[in-house]
Amino acid sequence: MLIFHLGPLATSLFSLLAILALVLSFVMLASHWLKNHVYAFAAESWTIAAISASIGYYGHYPELYIIAALTALFRGTFLPYLVLRLVKRLDIQREFTPLLKPSSSMIIGAALVIFSYEVSRQLGVALHLTDNIAVLALTCMFSLKLIGFLMMILRSEAISHILGLLVIENGIFLGSQILVPGMPALLELVIIFDLLTIVMAFGMLVRFLQTHAGTTSSRGLQKLVG
Amino acid sequence: MLGDIVLQCGQVLTVMFLAPLLHGFITTVEERVQRGKGPSIFQPYRDLWKLFNKSLLVPESATWVFFWAPVVAFTAMLIVPMLIPVLTNFPLPLSDMGDILGGGLILTLGSFFILLAGLDTGQPFGGLGSSRAVMLGILAEPTLILVFVGITFLDHSMLPFVANHLLAKNPVAYWSPAHIFLILAFFILLTVETDRLPIHSTIPYEIYMIDEARILEYSGPLLALLKWASWMKQFIFYTIFLNVFLFPWGLSTTGSFPSVLLALLIILAKYGVIGLLMVGVDTMQSRLRFYRYQEPLALSFLFAVLAIVADQL
Amino acid sequence: MVNFDALIAALWIIPAVAIILMLALRLPHLAEYLNLLTSIAVFGLTLAILVAVPDKALVTGEQYILLTPLGAWVLFCVGLVYLLASIYAIGYMRLLPEEKPRLHKYYALQAGFALTMLIAPLMNNPGIFWIAIDFTTIVSAFLVGFEKEAECIEAAWKYLIVVSAGLALALLGIILFYWGGTFVLGPTYALTWANLREIAPKVPETLLFLAFLLTLVGFGTKVGLAPMHTWLPDAHSEGPAPVSAMLSGALLNIALLGIYRFLSIVDSGGYSLMGHTALLVLGVISLFVAGLFIVRQDGAKRMLAYSSLEHMGVLAIGFGFGGPIAFAGAMYHMVNHSMNKSLMFFGAGNMMRAYGTKSMSKMRQVLRYYPVTGALWLLGAVAITGAPPFGLFLSELTILRGGILSPNPWAVWVMAILLILIFIAFMNHFRRMIWGPEPEPDEVPTLNLSLWNSLPMWLALIPVLVLGLWWPSGLWGFFQQAFMVQP
Repeated sequence: MLIFHLGPLATSLFSLLAILALVLSFVMLASHWLKNHVYAFAAESWTIAAISASIGYYGHYPELYIIAALTALFRGTFLPYLVLRLVKRLDIQREFTPLLKPSSSMIIGAALVIFSYEVSRQLGVALHLTDNIAVLALTCMFSLKLIGFLMMILRSEAISHILGLLVIENGIFLGSQILVPGMPALLELVIIFDLLTIVMAFGMLVRFLQTHAGTTSSRGLQKLVG
Repeated sequence: MLGDIVLQCGQVLTVMFLAPLLHGFITTVEERVQRGKGPSIFQPYRDLWKLFNKSLLVPESATWVFFWAPVVAFTAMLIVPMLIPVLTNFPLPLSDMGDILGGGLILTLGSFFILLAGLDTGQPFGGLGSSRAVMLGILAEPTLILVFVGITFLDHSMLPFVANHLLAKNPVAYWSPAHIFLILAFFILLTVETDRLPIHSTIPYEIYMIDEARILEYSGPLLALLKWASWMKQFIFYTIFLNVFLFPWGLSTTGSFPSVLLALLIILAKYGVIGLLMVGVDTMQSRLRFYRYQEPLALSFLFAVLAIVADQL
Repeated sequence: MVNFDALIAALWIIPAVAIILMLALRLPHLAEYLNLLTSIAVFGLTLAILVAVPDKALVTGEQYILLTPLGAWVLFCVGLVYLLASIYAIGYMRLLPEEKPRLHKYYALQAGFALTMLIAPLMNNPGIFWIAIDFTTIVSAFLVGFEKEAECIEAAWKYLIVVSAGLALALLGIILFYWGGTFVLGPTYALTWANLREIAPKVPETLLFLAFLLTLVGFGTKVGLAPMHTWLPDAHSEGPAPVSAMLSGALLNIALLGIYRFLSIVDSGGYSLMGHTALLVLGVISLFVAGLFIVRQDGAKRMLAYSSLEHMGVLAIGFGFGGPIAFAGAMYHMVNHSMNKSLMFFGAGNMMRAYGTKSMSKMRQVLRYYPVTGALWLLGAVAITGAPPFGLFLSELTILRGGILSPNPWAVWVMAILLILIFIAFMNHFRRMIWGPEPEPDEVPTLNLSLWNSLPMWLALIPVLVLGLWWPSGLWGFFQQAFMVQP
């Protein structure tokens, strides 16, 4: 439930920002270059920070400004920096073995967006939602989630898996900012912190993978089956 | 009423006579940007004059399709301007004989006949160009229809004039994500349909050719008609893009002579700007391998889908 | 009145201090004993909490801590397995001389893993519960990859990726639950289990189901329920044996506790049948998948990992049946499985070191070379398949009894048949290891196992046997009480 009511222009702004985040995830889906993925992820995080801040402004949740600043700082700057450093250290420029061509994966992504929209619409009908912004938030949340999973399925590089996971997390964060802006801020802070830890853990494991397993591609990790 | 009919003729004539100018402008600027001198921007008119004065050479294998295709294509391009807002933002007497989808179908009819003409003579390049064009069309046409569907969802009407009114008057609709994504989707289609990079090549070299290959057999007045038709097609696409999607302002609202003249001047300005944008695309983009041509189209499709989803919200 | 705040604080502070000491002093031998002492203290504290736990849910610590009978029971399982694993770790890690310089890191990680597992069951806030579970994943991933061989790192990587992705779904579910609550309680309210149960009847069915299914799949990934189990055999088979025991005997229970708590939310919403059936179906699938993979398994620890999958399936079925009898059976099964699976991993770890291979087809004539350890392992194998007179027999039978009265009696028959299949498969593997052909001359084991290697096996087997022969009536009463209290 949204306790604040938005003017039409603000609604457009929200929709625009939310869908911009969605488009940026498509950039990640379509590009071959790992660096582009990271930049798109950073831009997506900044978009989400902008959403947080504007919700704080329109809904009068001052603590959301802090969340926005932290999102921009950690998700938008520090995490991409960490991943970028990892990319440089592993010396992997691009994802060589995508299962599908970028255009096909984009079409699948578009289908996932439609699916998410349908699910959200059904939810909206079931909940008798009057404002569409909640349906939009649900759509973006589910779409980012599914696109993140799609990335993890289609890509084989370890870094792409990390990025896929981060996209999923971004989707959840985006949705939670719009749907439940009143959620205790402590929880959001801890989730940001948790994400940071998990990315560092991933970073260490990827480097172990490279030194001890000799590959960072899931196609190379075939020792454990059955 | 008489004034409206004059205006309607004016729309068709505007498209007819400004289309070569637009093409000449883009070609010249492109040359300038690439540090060449470039032809005069009126060169297309001279080309047309020259071609109309040449004799016609017909391949032995040609059938009636060969003669009719340019005529049909050219006529199609004459009909479409009646349906869309070129000069005025209100419908003129014959504007209601087709909606936005109808206009799209007539445009496709023109391309279809050129395609047949490419196959008709049985020459290898014609077939090559036709098959490539069909491959492109298979992906581009559904997206184009999806874009039209998107704009229909936005304004709840199939008429381009309604969309123009809605977008010009209502900033909320104009800045809605649905509309912005439609613009992006249509812009990509614009590059595809008006023979620009990254899919089409700017170099007239057989390996890269798509549309030019279809008309290699033509000469003289028929070639002039075909060229003119393709320039008009470009102009029509610009018109839809600008007057329906991107910049719905600046059209004549009353139909009085000064306002039409003003609209004409504004058309020159805004078409020029988009022309410059296209020059930028042409200069900065490199041509995609033919097997990757579906990527920009997939992107366009994606934008159209996003626009439709955003529309529903 | 027991001061639970102090007990819980001690439960968290002791391992934390121990970790800091281990990392600061960097003395491998000291770390061994420090970890052992910590585990003894932790076991004592969890036992004290279990004995003193009140017969209603206790919320303390500024509303952040929740102590329920079921939570205390899970906590006790953690303490128990941590103690057994710490004793065994001394013996096991001494068999790996090349790891000696890094031992203090290993023990610090092990204590840290235990600490995260001691935090999670006590969280009153589902969101923080989720985060605690996430931290158990991170810490245990490094334990799984501790030996830094290609397989270990691969397993750790898969574990971290699969479980993180799964848990992300659970977070989405939690947010949807909270969102459902905003329709009832207003935009801001405390996210607690009790609040979610309170709002559940007023939340539309669709949203409640969606949220529950997301959390079920999310935490189900962590439990290792099929078909989200793909990480489980890898992580459980590639980590050091004490870590495998802790993963299997302690961690999986905690995630299951999370599922059960979310199930209780759906219950109070009045849609109990759907939630229980969903859990039940996942349990049956897990049992089925485990059965298939155990039949054709060669890796000793891999087989045990699939056995964990089987037992999580049994627990899921037990909780899915609902009703006091099946619930009591599931709780009893939890502690029996914790001890028994620790025993099995210890035995497997010993044999792996002794024969220098993970493959069961190369471990031959186990009883001749290692009469004590081998016999303990064999008895454990009999016990883990649910044969009498061991505790798992009683608990599985109780679950089956409870299932006949439940709305889904069909699952009883499926479960019984699959358990028999798994019994046969297990016994077939052990038959070959005990009565199989002589090992090749160069594969004859020469390793001497110390008391540290067999003592924890005794400590695990005896209670399982006792619990199989005698179900304490006090325990039965406790289970019934736990069933009445909201988890």
